[in-house]
Amino acid sequence: MTVPAAPLDPVTLEIMANGLRSIADETFAALMKSAYSTNIKERRDHSTAIMDPAGRLIVQADASLPIHLASMGGLMESLLARFGGELRDGDLFVANDPHVAGGTHLPDINMAMPVFFEGELVAFMCNIAHHADVGGAVPGSMAGGLTEIYQEGLRIPVVRLFREGVLQQDLLDLILLNVRVPAERRGDYFAQIASCRLGRSRLTEILDQYGIAAVRDGFGQIVTRTAARMRAAIAGLPDGVYRFEDAMDDDGMGATDIAIRLTITVDGGDIHFDFSGSAKQVTGNINVTRNATQASVCYALKALLDPDAPNNQGVLDLPRLTVEKGSLLDAAFPAPVAARANTCQRIIDVILGALAPARPEAAVGAANGANTTAVFSGNDPRTGEDYVYLETLGGGFGGRAAKDGKDGVQVHITNTSNLPVEAIEMEYPLRVLSYGLVANSGGPGRQRGGMGLERVVTPVGHACTFNGAGERFARQPWGVFGGGAGATGAFRHIAADGVTARLPNKPIGVTIAPQEAVIVRTPGAGGYGAPAERTAEALEDDRTSGKFDETWLAEHYPQAIETGGED
Amino acid sequence: MGWLVGVDVGGTFTDFFACRPEDGATRIFKRPSTPHNPGEAIVRGLQEMAASLDVDPARIDRLCHGTTVATNALIQRRGGTVALVTTEGFRDLLEIGRQTRPHMYSLQLDHPAPLVPRRRRFEIRERMGPAGEVLTEPDEDGLTAVAEAVAASGAQSCAVCCLFSFVDPAHERRIADALKRRLPDLPLSLSSSVRPEFREYERFSTTVLNACLQPVIADYLAYLETETAALAPDAAIRIYQSSGGLMSVGTARTYPIRTALSGPAAGAVGAVHTARGAERPNVITLDMGGTSADVALIRGYDAGIGLDREVAGYPVRQPMVDIHTVGAGGGSIAWFERDGLLKVGPRSAGAEPGPACYGRGGTEPTVTDANLALGRLSPAGLAGGDLALDEGAARRAIEPAAQRLGFSVEKTAQGILGIVVANMVRAVRTISVERGLDPRDYALMPFGGAGPLHAVEVARVLGIREIVVPGAPGILCAQGLIVSDLKEEFVRSGRFALTAEGLLQIAGLLDGLEADARAWFDAEGVAPEDRGLTLSFDARYVGQNFELPVSFAGGSHGVLALPAGPDEIADVFHAEHERHYGFHSAGEPIEIVNIRIAATGRMAAVAAPVSGRNAVRAAEPAGHRPVWFDGDAAVETPVYWRESLAAGMAFAGPAVVEQLDSTTVVFPGDRAAVDEAGNLVIAVGQSETAAPGAAP
Repeated sequence: MTVPAAPLDPVTLEIMANGLRSIADETFAALMKSAYSTNIKERRDHSTAIMDPAGRLIVQADASLPIHLASMGGLMESLLARFGGELRDGDLFVANDPHVAGGTHLPDINMAMPVFFEGELVAFMCNIAHHADVGGAVPGSMAGGLTEIYQEGLRIPVVRLFREGVLQQDLLDLILLNVRVPAERRGDYFAQIASCRLGRSRLTEILDQYGIAAVRDGFGQIVTRTAARMRAAIAGLPDGVYRFEDAMDDDGMGATDIAIRLTITVDGGDIHFDFSGSAKQVTGNINVTRNATQASVCYALKALLDPDAPNNQGVLDLPRLTVEKGSLLDAAFPAPVAARANTCQRIIDVILGALAPARPEAAVGAANGANTTAVFSGNDPRTGEDYVYLETLGGGFGGRAAKDGKDGVQVHITNTSNLPVEAIEMEYPLRVLSYGLVANSGGPGRQRGGMGLERVVTPVGHACTFNGAGERFARQPWGVFGGGAGATGAFRHIAADGVTARLPNKPIGVTIAPQEAVIVRTPGAGGYGAPAERTAEALEDDRTSGKFDETWLAEHYPQAIETGGED
Repeated sequence: MGWLVGVDVGGTFTDFFACRPEDGATRIFKRPSTPHNPGEAIVRGLQEMAASLDVDPARIDRLCHGTTVATNALIQRRGGTVALVTTEGFRDLLEIGRQTRPHMYSLQLDHPAPLVPRRRRFEIRERMGPAGEVLTEPDEDGLTAVAEAVAASGAQSCAVCCLFSFVDPAHERRIADALKRRLPDLPLSLSSSVRPEFREYERFSTTVLNACLQPVIADYLAYLETETAALAPDAAIRIYQSSGGLMSVGTARTYPIRTALSGPAAGAVGAVHTARGAERPNVITLDMGGTSADVALIRGYDAGIGLDREVAGYPVRQPMVDIHTVGAGGGSIAWFERDGLLKVGPRSAGAEPGPACYGRGGTEPTVTDANLALGRLSPAGLAGGDLALDEGAARRAIEPAAQRLGFSVEKTAQGILGIVVANMVRAVRTISVERGLDPRDYALMPFGGAGPLHAVEVARVLGIREIVVPGAPGILCAQGLIVSDLKEEFVRSGRFALTAEGLLQIAGLLDGLEADARAWFDAEGVAPEDRGLTLSFDARYVGQNFELPVSFAGGSHGVLALPAGPDEIADVFHAEHERHYGFHSAGEPIEIVNIRIAATGRMAAVAAPVSGRNAVRAAEPAGHRPVWFDGDAAVETPVYWRESLAAGMAFAGPAVVEQLDSTTVVFPGDRAAVDEAGNLVIAVGQSETAAPGAAP
């Protein structure tokens, strides 16, 4: 086909956009393949994107994580402010700091490479990858119990790692000296660099094919068309003011009931998220920087209104955001932020709760609202080597207008898979005694909430150490439109004599002796609609599946008393 | 020797490919499928071929059959009622799966509910540890109770799935014995037999799917055996498996899950056969049908094997030809996305109502309508076909989109094809670039009814310079069936250090695997000279959670070719790791988690198919018609009959080549020639607007 002059028609634009999406996906795969960190290879905790010279997000790889949505924009803002006038072909920038360089937590290393064509700056190839370690007080750079960003790892402002194609070796040496297993981290850096370079050469081909003017027009249209699409979806919401609030259980450092308050104003195609009145930032590491809050808002909007909308600046720019500096949701230096994902989950619950009346057919009850983390570590008696086994567990997903919430699943901002029981036992001196759904944990409703998960783990032939982070361990996941709340989660210790005792919600350094065990129980989720409206058939399934017991059903569903007993 | 017949049952058509090795005679035949009982189309087709093509059923020696019965039963949830017996404490494992969602942003989409509801999932007190050590022995009371529970559940089949059964199947077998005592006729699927590998969820899921299919496939195979016994008494029936090999009816009855996804696999094997004939060892295949396109990558005449796929939304771990599917077919519908961009697929008009030009009530514009509007397809339909195409209906379907775009109908049609090509290009990039391979190093082999229509455009965008169109592109799957070997795989799972001591342990297991393979060769009646064994290990660096296969082929007469020692295995592993992931770690310890033996029983060699029958001396077009390529006007274009093209003939594009089962479009600037094996080889010209190829 011949290439028309700008503006591009919707056919040529679709073909060009397809090529750009392909670049984002290929650079994503290339980064995953060549990285060392398990987080990147196995859990795909990375993202790739094309940005324009103004720092606008044009295309993000399909498989990218929602939380990375706004992080690249943050990096670009700092980059352009600091280096805007002096960019050269072959430069490559790196950064990670949440407070000065647009990051969301330190293990996420951000990179950006300007792409020049015929002497003009046309785009940036960007990526983010979660490194297995970025230094700091504790291996893995994600630990609780820390109070300042300095303790969480090496802080990197926006710096030039390559200057006109030349690696700044002294800078890389400085970075690698400050992280654990530097040889592997060096591999992670070069995986990211190679991904940028692949993207640059692929983008150059598209520029060869279409020319700068057409590509610029394409960038612009991609953003404006997505913005128009999202604005139309927002205009479909009833105008008005929507309020909701919830709170985090605790920060693991003494603060409890940490409020997140939200007022949403919908006015035609405009939407304003005002988080004023939310709690001040806290001592523990559940603080969130502004762009992670923005990413959470954009995730929730897309999920509620248009899950298939492409990820670009058109989505990011749409919600107007008011967040107080120094609050939990726009934490100021030197707040620690490693566990920001737990708070992002709660922000999303609050948004979905606020907008439920505006979009009842798409609304959901509160999900397990957490990123329940369990870490077992010790010395393997079989080999004499130290081990660390970290896992994040899913839980209930909220009840929905037309179907029950999913049981035992990762929700919203996270979607990482579990480690198989057989892999755990082959790999670590641990035994999984059981792994299943938690009875009676799904909140009652016309469509019930999803159920939490429970895993019981015991060390084999040695004593191990347990660390964890739980949320919605104190505050239940609420239901919507009359639906009831789901169960909370908990960490428990089982002593050798079988006596169980509750552990803190964010336990640090608990010793588990042989013959003892830990119960990791994650929260369920809230129901949708009045329990009295639940059908007899659905209740029958609740009963015969054994997911809920007779007594509990009778207590939560008035109609269960009449239909019960036929069993 | 008599006829070898391959039958590929698809959703719309059942394809036959028959060949007689003694004189190289070949026949191709196509008839409508009979979805209510797919076997009926096979029986009728055999009768019809006897009448019209002189293929005497009594002279059929082998009937190779690729079936979608299993796949369709899963997609339509028509499998049997299954019970599951599993380790105490783990009955929810099947439901939790990997605890992930299928769509990052959707609040509504879930993975499908498990095929066995919780009330039919029964726990038994038993447990093994990772070394096969017995932690809890199942007791008689427990065994009796669980058998009673299964009996009371009304299940038609039962899956038995215990933790660490891949190390030692003893507990699963004791449970099976107890079930057999109580329910002698109940089909059983043991995870230690169906897929004895570690990672319990994928193993359990595969086993449950297998159990679910057992009742369905048993009925189907019984029908087929009875009917063909009467019609073609000498025909040995072989069933195609997803790994690209054949198996006996008995094996198919025990392991029906192996037939899921066997259709596309047959195409890839047919493509390998064609690639050999064309002497092109490296080929990217593009199998485009009515609703989707399958792409696969063949390296050194080898279509790679993958292990993990989803069938009907459920994970299946089985050796399967590595194929990537994209929703791009002749029936794919063009539509406008919310942001105003034109999209094509994945929604398809299917066989009913089909594209608008079929005149069966379809009104939305499809890829086939676009091809017709541009003159690339003939209004007479496929050569020799009964189905004329309604060009007016095609244009009317495209008109609303053209108006919205402000384009002519032809320019809109070009746009629709440009987009469907872009979608296929993405699929090809996925299978090549993500494996560290450059598509420009490959030839493109299009097949299926619609592949050759779009091959030139796909090749141009990818920078591929050569296209090989097989002799019978629409029947390549059926053809693949009869050029396949018997195949079986034997596997042991565990953790073995890649050291001299580790290899000693492995050697002990290999004896058992080889004995299993020998027993299988004997049972299948494979002659010693036809027995092939390939040893492979799934290896990884200690601490990794993913493995790479490391293969040692070259054994013959049923004897394994063994690597010399740990160093040789390590060298191959490092090289594979380098290719896949761009690095290797020479000093790192390596471990092996699966030991596999692939056994092949070579079937009779088959002559190269359909070339140059009724050939004339020079390439003479049968006619001309105006065809739109990528310009603003139609070009008067010669139309050739494929049957009239003999080896050695060549012609320049533009051209359209029509045949019974497909249409090939050759663009201006391209050159086409017929090779010795009857393939149409197109040298792709460089168009000004084509994208240059990908950089490495």
